[in-house]
Amino acid sequence: MRNVLPDRRQLRGWSQQRLADELGVSRQTVISLEKGRFDPSLPLAFRLAATFDCTIEDLFFPDEED
Amino acid sequence: MNTNTTPRQTRWGRSRLFGGGSIALVAVSVGIGAVLSSGIGGLFATFGNPTKPWLAFAVVAIVTLPVSAALAWVILVDRTTITGATRNPDDSIENIWFERAALGAFGDLMIVLGLGAAAFAVFGLDIAPALLLSALFVLASADFAVRYLRISKAEG
Repeated sequence: MRNVLPDRRQLRGWSQQRLADELGVSRQTVISLEKGRFDPSLPLAFRLAATFDCTIEDLFFPDEED
Repeated sequence: MNTNTTPRQTRWGRSRLFGGGSIALVAVSVGIGAVLSSGIGGLFATFGNPTKPWLAFAVVAIVTLPVSAALAWVILVDRTTITGATRNPDDSIENIWFERAALGAFGDLMIVLGLGAAAFAVFGLDIAPALLLSALFVLASADFAVRYLRISKAEG
């Protein structure tokens, strides 16, 4: 799954650690999310959407082959 | 949805049962560990038929004290007060790695148990149960650790 998390985070001027603190997860989780190596759980996806004041669909997109 | 309620965090954390600081938690953990270790030492000295019961009691109690104290600490500590603890560990990728490593180690253990049972039945092997169970414990732990490290290195 692709995502625009790095763009959204950088728009706010946040570090990966800052976003991790906002979400209550490890920094490694944010790194893996941004690299597309980790699909978040539904609760985490909702927390991400709420953090960036948008919907989950605004953040995550299915890959072409999905 | 910001749930920032991170309490003050320290290396050893604080108790979730009786509050206080890290020193109180560690002291109580060591105390409980000492009681547990003394009990284990007493059981061994009584039922293990050692030639020197008091020496056996002392050795077993001392050797098991770190594990007993650590177990007491794990039960007593409020994990959110430990340095670096996240509020939502279940949503972190480390939890996924843990589950995958544990699943793989469980599968390996089932294979080893199955093959081992067959080998014991066919060849009539005779190994002390304590040694066998200890070996299985070490094998499963090492398997899990290696799998976790491999996964975290590949995906981290």
